[in-house]
Amino acid sequence: MNSNTLLLPVLVASTLAALFAACLLGSTPMPADRVLMAFLGTGDTADQLVIWQIRLPRALAAFLTGAALGISGAALQGLLRNPLAEPGVLGVSASASLAATFSLYYGLAAISIWVLPVAAILGALAATALIALAAIQTRSVVTLILIGVGLSSFAGAAMSLLMNLAPNPFSLSDMINWMLGSVANRSFQEVGLAIPFIASGAAILLFTRRGLSALTLGEEAASGVGLNLRNQRIWTVLGAGLATGGSVALAGAIGFVGIVAPHMIRPFTGHDPARSLIPSALLAGLILVVADIGVRLLPTSNELKLGVVAALIGAPAFVWIAMRRRTVND
Amino acid sequence: MTELVTTSLTAKAGDATLVEGAELRLAPGELVALLGPNGAGKTSLLRAALGLVKPDSGNATLGGTESTRLSPMQRARQIAYLPQLRPLAWPNTVRDVVALGRFAYGAAPGRLSKEDAAAIDRAITICDLAGLSHRRTDTLSGGELARVHCARAFAAEAPLLIADEPVAALDPRHQFRVMDMVRQFVDRGGGALVVLHDIPLAARYASRLVWMKEGRIIADGPPAETLTEQRMADVYGVKARIGGLNIEIEGAI
Repeated sequence: MNSNTLLLPVLVASTLAALFAACLLGSTPMPADRVLMAFLGTGDTADQLVIWQIRLPRALAAFLTGAALGISGAALQGLLRNPLAEPGVLGVSASASLAATFSLYYGLAAISIWVLPVAAILGALAATALIALAAIQTRSVVTLILIGVGLSSFAGAAMSLLMNLAPNPFSLSDMINWMLGSVANRSFQEVGLAIPFIASGAAILLFTRRGLSALTLGEEAASGVGLNLRNQRIWTVLGAGLATGGSVALAGAIGFVGIVAPHMIRPFTGHDPARSLIPSALLAGLILVVADIGVRLLPTSNELKLGVVAALIGAPAFVWIAMRRRTVND
Repeated sequence: MTELVTTSLTAKAGDATLVEGAELRLAPGELVALLGPNGAGKTSLLRAALGLVKPDSGNATLGGTESTRLSPMQRARQIAYLPQLRPLAWPNTVRDVVALGRFAYGAAPGRLSKEDAAAIDRAITICDLAGLSHRRTDTLSGGELARVHCARAFAAEAPLLIADEPVAALDPRHQFRVMDMVRQFVDRGGGALVVLHDIPLAARYASRLVWMKEGRIIADGPPAETLTEQRMADVYGVKARIGGLNIEIEGAI
């Protein structure tokens, strides 16, 4: 019981520490006193520039992306009653990033700064809705995950096609960014564009989280205890679609954090999907902030993409969770 | 007084008629056993009566209101429904699962009012789960798990209870324990409808037997009147010897 009450404070404190560390560390490390002065707006102007224009927005972007994926993953796992459900695995992230790439490719993104995030969100919602529809048809979660694999592959193929046809190396490198996932060079403007979507998605998921606990009993029994199944599906799909779409608009497709974070959180929250949402969001955000610090510090000739690092850590974890899973209900 | 009443209720799935013209009544103070072979339409009747599927004709009312018009929460406060058991998705603690029985009152396992907590404690005591309340459900035996589901249904403190094969796959002792709990629920003023495949168990506990065959209710009355050798042959296709409430099933016809 004790570990449960400590969970949130520990996560919040570690997240703040990680965000602060992200401001300290970098190609030129900055001592803590200079960072603090820059935060207060009293330090050296160059320091202020580095903190406010480069390091802090980037760290916040990493945190928001992770938080959105963590809460979406935890909610989708509750809805589908399977620990392997996640925006990345279900093809939601890939579809969102395909839609974003599409808007870039056809120059639609130049019309308004809102086009790209909205495209990403529409892509995410289309994929989530398709999966929710399939979830009504089939009881088998394995089928759903296979549908997700199909969606991912299709989105990947369509993206390769766009890259294949890319008119110039610049658009090619833009697309690669969306495909691999990165928070490099993010500004507060981009963070600000993604926040409304991530926040509204997260709010929807939090308001409707009670139903996710009821779904533990299975769908029939959940409606027996008073859950409106149809509304629960719609809200969870909408919330996860908005949050995931917002995260993709900000950082491109980043996979597996949405699985790993809730999996680590569940034992501390009594395996209750509703109580896992907020801690999963915090932990997933924390993981990406730390991973992004790693990305920036690793002395590689080309900076590694955050999405690549996340997948390198997350994919083995996915396999491990899948292998340890006892075959229960599918 | 909350009653569940169906009037010439018919439910179809595509071309197949699952339930036809069913007249069923469940009131507080009685323990009704719903009997019939596999595929007779027992579960479909329950689902249509509860408003989980829309009846094709006829209607079902719960406390005077048509059950398809009730919101899931309103319905759950009047009738607790235990469907055929499915595995739980997550290894929650026993107490958290029982707490889900309070969902219709706005409760969640992490957010319980005083009344919710009190109702959960009562249900846990009734079902003799006090020693297990912090155990994870994936460490329980089948009999213990069946008691957890009963406790979740009792935690709702609804006047009526519908249980679909609550004793399936339980050993004889646990079958009796679960049926004792249902009978105590009825003694406290509740009304229970239980789907059973064990005819002797049904005859022993039920105040009324409802017999279904091929989607129709073909008999409805106290065990002493409706439990006959002829009926066992008609409904189940078995040869049985009946003396009072003792039944000896000798084999298939």
